[in-house]
Amino acid sequence: MSNPRVAIFDFACCEGCQLQVVNLEEDILSLIALVDPVEWREAMSDHSDSYDIAIIEGSITRPEDVDRLKTIRERAKILIALGACATMGGINKLKNNFDLKEVRQAVYGAAAGMAHLNTEPTRALDEIVKVDFKVHGCPIDNRELGAIIRCLIMGKTPVIPTYPVCVECKKNEVVCRYEFNEICLGPVTRAGCGARCPSRGFWCFGCRGYAEEPNVAAASDVMDHYGKTVEDLKSRLTLFVGQQEFPP
Amino acid sequence: MGVVTVDLKMLNVWVEGLIRGGRVFGVQAKNNRFQFAPLLMAANLRLDYDVTVIPPKKYMQPAREDLLTFEGAAGFETCLDQEPFILIGVHPYDVAAIAQMDAVFSGDNVDVHYMTRRKQATVVACDVQAASANVFAGCMGTATVDKGFDILLTRVGDHYVVDSRTHKGEVILGNLVKAPKADAVSLARREQVWEDNRKYLRKHELRMAPETLPTLLEASCDHPVWEEKSQRCFSCGSCNMVCPTCYCFDVRDDVRWDLKGGARVRDWDGCMLRDFATVAGGHNFRKNRADRYRHRYYRKGKYMPAKIGHISCVGCGRCISACVTKIANPVEVYNRLLEVR
Ligand code: SF4
Ligand code: SF4
Ligand code: SF4
Repeated sequence: MSNPRVAIFDFACCEGCQLQVVNLEEDILSLIALVDPVEWREAMSDHSDSYDIAIIEGSITRPEDVDRLKTIRERAKILIALGACATMGGINKLKNNFDLKEVRQAVYGAAAGMAHLNTEPTRALDEIVKVDFKVHGCPIDNRELGAIIRCLIMGKTPVIPTYPVCVECKKNEVVCRYEFNEICLGPVTRAGCGARCPSRGFWCFGCRGYAEEPNVAAASDVMDHYGKTVEDLKSRLTLFVGQQEFPP
Repeated sequence: MGVVTVDLKMLNVWVEGLIRGGRVFGVQAKNNRFQFAPLLMAANLRLDYDVTVIPPKKYMQPAREDLLTFEGAAGFETCLDQEPFILIGVHPYDVAAIAQMDAVFSGDNVDVHYMTRRKQATVVACDVQAASANVFAGCMGTATVDKGFDILLTRVGDHYVVDSRTHKGEVILGNLVKAPKADAVSLARREQVWEDNRKYLRKHELRMAPETLPTLLEASCDHPVWEEKSQRCFSCGSCNMVCPTCYCFDVRDDVRWDLKGGARVRDWDGCMLRDFATVAGGHNFRKNRADRYRHRYYRKGKYMPAKIGHISCVGCGRCISACVTKIANPVEVYNRLLEVR
């Protein structure tokens, strides 16, 4: 059996998740032993239109992105969304809170009117095409990506946590941020990061998106108890999940 | 086996000796809270603690452990942790919980991973000196214990009463065998500590005898409290993870890059998590939050007593503190069941 052909693409993003792939270091050799990379702008000069697995980083923010994404979807047997921008729109979705003309003006100033700087509301990949697997996080955890790829090659369904970050806090014996009267998004955020932020004394920013069936109403109900307001909570939700769409 | 008294200095010297002799885990301060951790010097031991974030169950059933490693066709090897260790400062309610876990993991299919660690453990218990914010062990009959430990330490004034009850306890007594026998006054003061702890470790008051819980629950399946409280539940499992009598786990295979070798791993799972009861084919037999919420209280108050003969809540109060939305208090829920609907 020949190795699956893998292509990595990027849309609007900081390329930090691809960098995490590069950061696999010696494991990258193990990865390349299992797959044939045929296109990967950040790491190689080859180009190909024929691949089995497409790994896509970034969100869709321009009209021309939509066609490119659809073409990739047609060519790939399996499509993997890599990182928060691809899985839920990520930081790029902050722009959807504003008028697009103002956004263009603020970013490009006098050049804002130029045609190639056209922009549209940010969308995650699955708002346009079918996504088979999501590698969550900003940035992604490259060990999780490795595990997902190994599962796919073995024909197993990768297990991605559906529960909140709190589980991992407890496993690490972390004292909860709420015990310091701080708002943390962990109770509504998908685990899988190993509670990286709370374990180092920071509240959870929600970069892996909502857990399955997040109880956001419960989070706002409890703000009073910690001397906070629903507005405080909303201001934290804005960064990642504020604009997150739920699959139907 | 004797009951002796030692002063604080002598106790320190004894603990230092234990540390030199092998693996010792003791209660220490961390981030304004307490936790069991490897003890490097006696001075770090905080027997005056109120409660630890995670119970000592983590030494018998770690949050994550390899059950076995495999090498493709070469077969597999079971992983067993055989190194002896000493736990110092286990509160009575946690001693009671360990006894329950022993019953669980040695019953039905014996769990060799748990039991191997358990056999290597020497438990030095310590009577509670400071009540935590939410402890209610006094209501659950676990404020004091009479068995389940190897040595019991009780602070009376400026010294400790040291009570060794087992062979394992004797083995680590060392120098303490030469300590003076506890006199009548010290023993009477220890009785007083026990009486006080039974009386005062009740930050929440259960308005029923714990033995009546199975009957009460029997009739409470459709009580409105389940739906009501669970509306504020995150299904975050914090109440499960911190509980000394929650032992559920998940098992997975982690395969290495060569796709041949790897490890079979188990880690903590919890019945409050959305997919805890998801089975093959994607069916989830407790898909509603309220069903999961109710299950936790039924398990503690009804299913476990039927299985091991004890209510599976020892009143440590950890779940009450850990729940961000403040809905995980077993006392509050069980008391509610007494009210007219
Ligand atoms: S710190 Fe955040 S993620 Fe951790 S337990 Fe508390 S609320 Fe949950
Ligand atoms: S249910 Fe709560 S109070 Fe009871 S033993 Fe578990 S954590 Fe402690
Ligand atoms: S009861 Fe509280 S701690 Fe338990 S799962 Fe629900 S929100 Fe989390």
